[in-house]
Parts: sequence; C-alpha cells; structure tokens
Amino acid sequence: MKYPVQSVKRLLVLGGLAVAAVPVGGFGHAWAGKADDTLKLAFTKELQSIDAYYNSAREGTIMDQQIWDGLVYLNPLKGEFEGNLATSWAWLDDTTLEFKLRKGVKFHNGEAFDADDVVYTLDFVTNPDNKITVPQYVSWIKSTQKIDQYTVRILLNKPYPAALNLLATMIPMYPNEYYAKVGPSGMALHPVGTGPYAVTELDPGKHFVLKKYAGYHDGPKGQPSIGTIDVRTIPDVNTQIAEMFSGNLNFMWGVPSDQAEKLAAMKRFTVVNAPTMRVGYLVMDAAGRTGKDNPFTKLEVRQAVAHAIDREAIVKSLVKGSSKTINSACYPSQFGCEQDVTKYPYDPAKAKELLAKAGYPNGFTTDFYAYRDRPYAEAMLAYLNAVGIKANLKMLQFSALTDLRMKGEVPFSFQTWGSSSIDDVTAITSLFFTKGLEDYAQDDQVNAALGEGDTSVQPEKRKAAYSKALKRIADQAFWAPLFSYNANYVFTPDVAYQPTADELLRFYKMSWK
Amino acid sequence: MSTTQTATELPVETYLGQLCRRAFGHRGLMFGIVVLGVVIFAAIFAPLLSAHDPYQQDLLARMKPPFWMEGSDLAHPLGTDFLGRDYLARLLYGARISLFIGIVAASISCVIGTTLGVAAGYFGGRVDLVVTFLVNVRLAMPVVLVSLAVVAILGGSLNMVVGVLGLLLWDRFAVVMRASVMQVRGLEYVNAAKSIGCSTLRIVLSEIMPNIVNNLIVVMTLEMAHAILLEAALSFLGLGVQPPTPSWGLMISEGKQMLLFEPWMIAIPGACLFALVLAINLLGDGLRDITAPENRG
Repeated sequence: MKYPVQSVKRLLVLGGLAVAAVPVGGFGHAWAGKADDTLKLAFTKELQSIDAYYNSAREGTIMDQQIWDGLVYLNPLKGEFEGNLATSWAWLDDTTLEFKLRKGVKFHNGEAFDADDVVYTLDFVTNPDNKITVPQYVSWIKSTQKIDQYTVRILLNKPYPAALNLLATMIPMYPNEYYAKVGPSGMALHPVGTGPYAVTELDPGKHFVLKKYAGYHDGPKGQPSIGTIDVRTIPDVNTQIAEMFSGNLNFMWGVPSDQAEKLAAMKRFTVVNAPTMRVGYLVMDAAGRTGKDNPFTKLEVRQAVAHAIDREAIVKSLVKGSSKTINSACYPSQFGCEQDVTKYPYDPAKAKELLAKAGYPNGFTTDFYAYRDRPYAEAMLAYLNAVGIKANLKMLQFSALTDLRMKGEVPFSFQTWGSSSIDDVTAITSLFFTKGLEDYAQDDQVNAALGEGDTSVQPEKRKAAYSKALKRIADQAFWAPLFSYNANYVFTPDVAYQPTADELLRFYKMSWK
Repeated sequence: MSTTQTATELPVETYLGQLCRRAFGHRGLMFGIVVLGVVIFAAIFAPLLSAHDPYQQDLLARMKPPFWMEGSDLAHPLGTDFLGRDYLARLLYGARISLFIGIVAASISCVIGTTLGVAAGYFGGRVDLVVTFLVNVRLAMPVVLVSLAVVAILGGSLNMVVGVLGLLLWDRFAVVMRASVMQVRGLEYVNAAKSIGCSTLRIVLSEIMPNIVNNLIVVMTLEMAHAILLEAALSFLGLGVQPPTPSWGLMISEGKQMLLFEPWMIAIPGACLFALVLAINLLGDGLRDITAPENRG
C-alpha cells in the first residue's frame, strides 16, 4: 500500500490532485456543511475549560486561537512574528518590551480594546492567587505598565528569549471589564474575545458552536471564511470515521496512522500528513531518585537501552508519516537543538555487551511507564526484552504519570512532549533538565549550560550553551530520544485547508472549495 | 443409604451406562464437551499447533489479514496483530490464560463458598445468620466495579486478576450449597450417621457432599465462565492481564482501534471467547440434566 510520506507542501499538491480526481457527483447525498455554511469538526479529548488560562490541552490552545488574539502572531509558514493586537514592538533593553497597540479593535461584546485590557489580563494571570493551569507560561513577566491608551510595557524578571513565542500562542488578551465581572467561570460559559470567531453556543466539554465575527480587525490571521464551525467531542476514532462516512463530520485531526492510511486508500477524503514538534523519548532515572541501586544510574545501562530499540523500524512501521528518528533531547527545528551529538544506532548485541559490563549479564526487571501510544510502548517492550531487560508496562493517565514523576517514583518511562509548538529548546530541554521535579538527570553541568542559554539574548552564545548541554545529555544518555511525531488531518473534499507543522488548527484559514 | 451402597447391589455399569446414554443424547452437553475439549487441547499443545512464538514481533509484517482475506500470508493463517505477532499463536497461548483464570478463580471461590455454605446449611442458627450476612454484603458489591477498583489500586497482573476474581465469585457457591445442605441435613441417613456417633466432618464429607456435588459442578462451570468473561472485560479495560501476555480480552481491546477497517482483529478472539463461555455453560447445564436426582429414574 502506498502512503504519501512527504512534507506538507508536497502533500497538499497530492491532496489537491486527489480531490480534483474525485467526481463531484459520486457522493450520493450532499455533505452536511457547504450548503448551510457549517463545518463540523471533532475533538477527541474533552476540554476542561474553554478559558485559555484554565486548561493545558491542545484543544484549548486551538480554541484560544479562534476566539482570542495575542499581542503578536507567529506566522507558521514564514516562522516570523507579525503584529496582531499590537502593531509594533521593541526591546527597550534586555528586560523591557514595549508594544504599540492596534486601534479600533472591539471585543465580541462591543467592549473596546486598549492598554487597560492588556495590563488587566497580564496582572490577572501573573497573580499566583488566580492559579492558572500552566503558570510557567507567564512566570517570566515581572509587571506590566500602561504608558498611554495604546502603549504598554512588559517588564521581565530576567532576559527570556521565548517571550514573544508565548505572547503569540499562549497569552490571549481578555476584556478587562467583562472578565472582572464574570471571572474564569463566566468566561468558560460565555467566552468573549477579539478573535475571528465568536462562541454562540456552548455545552462545556462537549459541544461548541463558533460563528464568524463580523467586526474582526484586519490582522495577520486574516478574515475568516466559513460562517459556522461546529465542534463536538467524540472520544472514539472509529465513531469519528463513521460520522465522516455518514456526512455528519467534515474534519478530523490527530487520526492514527493506520486509520489515515486506510482512509487515504479509499480516496474519498482528503488526507494530509504534517510533521509536528512533538517528540517521543525514554526517560531513565540516572539521578537514582527511585533508589540508589537502580540500574539506570549506570551509564552503560542507559546506553544499552538506547542501543536496544530499533527506532527506524518503529518509525517506518508504526509511527509512519513524516516522522523521523531524533538523536537530541529536542525537536530538530527548535532553536539551539544541536544535531551533532552522540548517536546510538540499533545494535542489540552491543546493548547486551553493555549490560554485561554494567553488571547485568542476565538483564534486570524494571517498571516501564507510559501514558499514550500503547502500541509504540509495547513494541519497545519487545526490543528491551530481547536484550534481557524485562519491563512491566504500566499505562497511566497523563496527569497521574506526571504526579508520579514529580514524586520521583518513575525509574523508566516513555514520554512525549510537544513544546507547546514553541520553536526553541527552552520549551523542552530547559523545562526537563534544570533540576526541576521532572528532572531525572539532576546534572549540574547540563543545568549550568542551560541556565546560560536561557538568560542570554545573544543567539550565538545561546547556541553554544545549548550545544554543550545537549551533547552532555547525549553522551550520558540521560534520555533515549526516539522519534518526532506527525499528525494526520482528514477532511471532506469540499474543504480547503493547509495544515501547519505547529499542530494548531486554524478555523479562520479553512474555506469551502 | 448412599450411592455407594446402591452401587454394590446393582451393576456399576448400569448407572454409568445410563449416564453415558443420557450424555450422548444431550446435544448441548456434547457441544460443550467438544468445544471445551478443543480449547483444552489447543491450550496444552499450543507450541505444537503453531510454529510461531506469541511474543515475537515483526514490525514489517503488521496486521496481515487471516487466510480467507486478500493479501494473507500462509505463514500466518490467522494473520498478525498490530505489532506483527502471529494471531494464531496468540490465540492458542491466550486459551491457556483464559482456562487458567477460569479454573483457578472458580476453585478459590468454590473452596470459600462451599465452606461457608455448608457450614451455614448444616449448623443453621447463628452460623447461618453470619454467613447470610456475609453473602448479602458480597452481593451488595458489584463484582466488576470492585475488581476494577482493586486492580486499579494494586496494579493489574495475571495473579492479581485471578486472586481478586477468586475472592469475589464465591457468593453463588455459598447460596447454592447452603440450600442444598439444608435439604439433605434432616434426611434419615444423616440422622443415622449422627446417631451412631460419626464426627461432623465425616458426616459432611461422606454423607452430605456426595449427594449435593452435582449442584457444585453446575455452579463451578457457571463461575468458570463468569471468571473468564470478567478477565476479558478487565483486560479489555487495560486493568487485567498486562501486555505482552496474550489474553483474549486484551486482543479484543487491541483490535478495537481498527474496528472499522480490520474487523477480524476483534471478531476472531471475540468468537473464541463466545464459544468457550457458551461451551462451559452448556456443559454445566448438561451435567446437571444428566446427574440431577430427579432425572435418575
């Protein structure tokens, strides 16, 4: 079976051809959708709250992009920042960022947008009493000052190179008067933003109806095209596919590769595969947090694990799509992601040798934790078993596994991280190797090098520092980096959409053919 | 008088012959015996029936369809699973797991339930009150929910599942045994044994038990089937037998993802599970039919 494994652009050409080749009259009844200008889309996970600051799910970030705007916008095709609610910005010094705001922007409820909204929003989210779900996204902000009605300054605690990235995707601007009145619980039921779509109907976690916002400003997102977007939560992929067949759904995303392959072969829908920034890796307890005598404290054992797993085969047969094997503890396109590091090719004989050298000629038994992609975990289980490492697979929910990891009780686990689509190693390596609760290396050299990179604003200096850190991580095999993920998007042939590598759906870029 | 006494007076062959005649005439029973026989045979001779190792993965030969579908590979007559492991081999080794769980869990339950039930039925009074209370407590707890909770807290494994099910499925044994013992404890031969000074243990074991053992067999088969189904349910939810151990419930769970495009991945282990549970139930029903005193003629 042939399955397109290419970059987004090439796939789009293919996708376009496939759609063009499908006879228009061949579908029997009309798709629910184009006729009434309603695009029906499915989420797999239930969204905790639509308030962007009170969830940490990908679905939440997606909704955030449609309903709200950030001060800046990260153009996914050019990889450059463009002014959104701010028209221009400047670094006054390493820790002061000044924004000139866009005039004439109105929230969905008619409230005008100005400096007060920015100051209110940032003050609200940086106030620890408000307990937002991911405080790390705003912890770099010291304070926000209003200079005049359309000028604000953000003061930083220390230089923070990823500031604009977070302002673009993770920090939407809220209407100060409305939010002060209704708070997070009100926002979760009746969200109000400046974004291209306004929510008209909402059943928390289950159903969202978004309508095109007629008064949307001429920002970098562009004017939305489709009138109504209807989002439902359908947890089971098979049900989603059945809904696609019956015409009750126009758009699916995050489709597992096996199903996407089958759907592509049917030539009934447009199937596009795009790379994502998510990477999979094995974390080993090098610091001995689960016990001093734990085998993973030995370098040879960690290297043996890295050599034991046939990542090429897993990528080729299971992960598929545009995924690639990785060697560094980050996604290759991320700023500072050094590629010239020690590599551990598949070599079970060498793995056995290393285990014997470490004092485990007959291998050992360990618990192996994972929270998603059970087939991948099981495939690794068999590879580990082949070199003598008997691993008991323990599948947990993401939150449960994170808790255990923070308590220091996980000797060995299969983790994945999407870096919140931030194209900089601060969003991954610096998060997990700076002696935090989820750091199982607790390595001073890595920590020092990352600290140097995180607080410098000179790109060359940062690169050198990160390179040092990532080389040490690879030499010491603190992680066994595995592969990058990919995402499959499946939509009906009447929908035109170009998926991007940041795994963010942009409803405002979707249109009818 | 007991059956042993009758046996000395009448030719043994008559009773056995009678049983066999009834058994051969009982379609359900024959079906049960044949299917169960096939499963037991498959479980015992699994390594001879399949050349493949059920744990051997081959990522390049994933999800090969079974022999009746296009694109199949004769090396894997029932196809391969999502990691390229031979489906037939996993099915055969999975039969071992199902039978093991059924037999061991039902045996644990049998010991617990029979002890309680016989004690309650024989002694009556306070003992009966206590046992009835225990049975009520047990009945108030939904088996699936309790086993889910216990396994979720203590972690899933084969032994854990067997243990939990064994400790949960004794209620029917207790209820049936209690009622059966109550029926026979006042009969003449029991009183006779009492009057000549037999010990309680002797009375229970050699006077009462032989007369109610057919009920026990029926409950035993019922609970075996129950345990096998529960194991499949727990494994399906990811809380039972842990991968890579082949278990039919786990195979169904693994096939679920591909339900729409590769329905055989669920259909094959599902059909096996269905057939096994049906066979055990029919066997139990049949045994009751041919051995029940009212049918002895």
